[in-house]
Amino acid sequence: MVAKDGQKVADVLSDGNVPGSLEVLRERVLNKRSGAASVQDWRAKLRQWWPYYAMMAPGLLFFFIWHYVPIWEAKMAFEQVRIIPPNIWVGLKNFQQLFASPIFYQVLANTLIISAMKIAFVFPVPIIVALLLNEIRNGKLRGTIQSAIYLPHFLSWVVIAGVFIAILSPTDGAVGQIQQAMGFGAPSNYLTNPASIRWVLVISEIWRSAGWDSLLYLAAIFAIDPQLYEAAEIDGANRWQKIWHVTIPGIVPTIATLFILNMGLFLSADLNQVINFQNDVNASTIDILDTYVYRLGLSTGEYALATAAGLFKAVIGMVLIVTSHLVSKRLTGKGVW
Amino acid sequence: MTFKKLLLATTAVAMLGASIVPAMAQTTLRLVSKDLLTTNPDDVRLIEEIEAGLKAKGHDIDIQTIDLPSGTAAYADALGVMLLSGDIPDVIYFQGGDQKMAEQGILEDLTPWIEGSENIKAALWPHNVERLANYPYLLYIYPPRGPQPVIRQDWLDELGLEAPTTVEEYEALFQAIHDADLDGDGTPGNTLGLTGFGNTSELDSIFNQAFGVTGTWMKNAEGQWVNSRVTDAEKAKIEFYARLAEKGLFDKEFVTNTFDVKEDKFYTGKAGVIFGSSPEVIDIYAGKMRQAHPGEEIELAVLPAPTGPGGQGLAAVDVSKESRGWAISSLSENKEAAVALLDFMASKEGQDLERLGFADVHHTVGADGAVTFTDQISTWYARFFNAANWTPPTPLLSPTAQTALDNIKNGFVADNAFVWPAEYAAEVDAAEQVYRSWVARFVTGEATLDQWQQFVDEYNPRAVHAWRSMRRRCWAASSATTRATPPPP
Repeated sequence: MVAKDGQKVADVLSDGNVPGSLEVLRERVLNKRSGAASVQDWRAKLRQWWPYYAMMAPGLLFFFIWHYVPIWEAKMAFEQVRIIPPNIWVGLKNFQQLFASPIFYQVLANTLIISAMKIAFVFPVPIIVALLLNEIRNGKLRGTIQSAIYLPHFLSWVVIAGVFIAILSPTDGAVGQIQQAMGFGAPSNYLTNPASIRWVLVISEIWRSAGWDSLLYLAAIFAIDPQLYEAAEIDGANRWQKIWHVTIPGIVPTIATLFILNMGLFLSADLNQVINFQNDVNASTIDILDTYVYRLGLSTGEYALATAAGLFKAVIGMVLIVTSHLVSKRLTGKGVW
Repeated sequence: MTFKKLLLATTAVAMLGASIVPAMAQTTLRLVSKDLLTTNPDDVRLIEEIEAGLKAKGHDIDIQTIDLPSGTAAYADALGVMLLSGDIPDVIYFQGGDQKMAEQGILEDLTPWIEGSENIKAALWPHNVERLANYPYLLYIYPPRGPQPVIRQDWLDELGLEAPTTVEEYEALFQAIHDADLDGDGTPGNTLGLTGFGNTSELDSIFNQAFGVTGTWMKNAEGQWVNSRVTDAEKAKIEFYARLAEKGLFDKEFVTNTFDVKEDKFYTGKAGVIFGSSPEVIDIYAGKMRQAHPGEEIELAVLPAPTGPGGQGLAAVDVSKESRGWAISSLSENKEAAVALLDFMASKEGQDLERLGFADVHHTVGADGAVTFTDQISTWYARFFNAANWTPPTPLLSPTAQTALDNIKNGFVADNAFVWPAEYAAEVDAAEQVYRSWVARFVTGEATLDQWQQFVDEYNPRAVHAWRSMRRRCWAASSATTRATPPPP
């Protein structure tokens, strides 16, 4: 509902000349009504808006079945799973088994380091890409660049890992040959070197997702009122100043929202990516919670252990979402709710 | 009168039929396997022919296959979820994840069924017998996997060398390949003697025994049982691998190679020797090599396991359990039908069907009964078994692959590894990670053998703790699902 001519919603509602579709809402806001009236309102709304509810229903149903029902099944983390029911309640035994593993803390540390690196170095790149794309005035050129940088998003990690393994090969990889040609010495194997493999994950993630992820920021930039740019121009702002004082503040809510949502996935450092780059030498450096759980939980049928790890990740994710939401609210006035 | 008689006779026949039908009722058998899908016409026809074969033997069975993703990891995941949801077919093909099901009593102990079977017992390979004795829930009648090295015969001839029979001769062969310009690119010294992928387990297949790594558990100088991974024999073997890599004879990039990269290096002449995981795979390598070099009649030669300071032979075969195979649900109401199916597939008729493919598609039968394979046979593969006692009417394998199979048959030695109960999975996984990581670092030169003790100190606390704990447990009570026990102290 949009208030006309800048009037506040309450003014519109108190106006006698309210469109028929707002009649029910007006009643609800201005009068204190009984429960029966409320049900009547609900029915009236349903009659009036049913096509929209019908359109929304599949989505709601999807989320209910695939996102809410499984929450109840998370109780499996506290059970010994029996194929022939009932499951046996074992309390925190699965968590104890998870935390008692000799390499759990190493795996957790790897996950935190890789996730932190991705937040620090991957997250800002799509914002920068979107800002740069927005500055390209030639529509055709912008379209071509956009298409080119979106493409890697559609490649699977198997293919991307294959490409990176080929170009980073110390014997005949392009990177090594360039390195040698420029006099930087013999190429090292970046895929086995513990000091470089995490950077390979970060760079490959940027290559794959920066273009696609910039779409959201680009959409947010396009939604900024052009009058603001015109006003800035009249005030004598140059390009950089317009970016700094108009564009970036205009997309801060989008940045904040995506940052908070990313924090929720902090402990999910991308199973598919890591599993395709993992080898015997770098395993101890990039073995993350997801690969560990996949190896120990899913491939051996230890579903309770896998669920315990999943629940652990979810709880941490929830804490991080709430914390970053509160911090964001305080700093920018924007959050996810 | 005639009409009445006809009516009476018809009624009598109908009643008789009705009384007979239940006795001859068809059994519906639900089966899940990643290699038997309703979307593959060959699979569908195979199932129909199996049903016909079973019917000829007096078993009227309707086999209903369940489609799951056919990729190995995806199949194991989907199968686990399906079983967890309570949907348990009568016959299940496992490729991992079976141990958990066995521990919960979902899988039938196959021992009495095999004892009473007509064909399965005779079709078993020696390692199958031992694995079934230790873990009687999976049946996988195939020769053991014993990777063996292969080289282009023309390269071997060009080098003027015989197939190596000692560790030193192997090193000399790799050196000769490296130094010569066999691939003809005009640059000698850029060909690897040997390449691999992932880890060194393929190499272990022929070098374990040569260096004295005789099994998973070995006695040390003090007479105590230790894991072979921390023995001097293992150290000597890894030192040999590291030396080969250091001299450019073994591919240092084996860690990041995938199997197709490994093969590609072989076909393009970047590497002289690779390991084939089975006789059939060796034939595939030969076919691909000829495709990569049209017009050249290239043959491959299998190289023998070398003699070394510790002995000679193929690596000991893990007989603790089958890593994959067929299981029957203990909840099934059609166990007899399930066993009949597996028994039929182990029989001569079943193997003829399974191994030769369809008549007039994958093979033709001449007037004299001689079987000739068509080109289509290259697309055919066994879905159930490769019985030890079945002989093809026409050789299925090339002489090279047959040599590899004979080596596997003749060189079988049982390992003394045992099944770790699921509760030790985390510790075993941690120890395995340490071993794999250190071996790769030793071989690629990122760590030196001077750091061996550092590896041992890191490995032992993880492996030994789990092992001692396991021994205590096994002494206290024999496990329900793992009959094999750790070696005595």
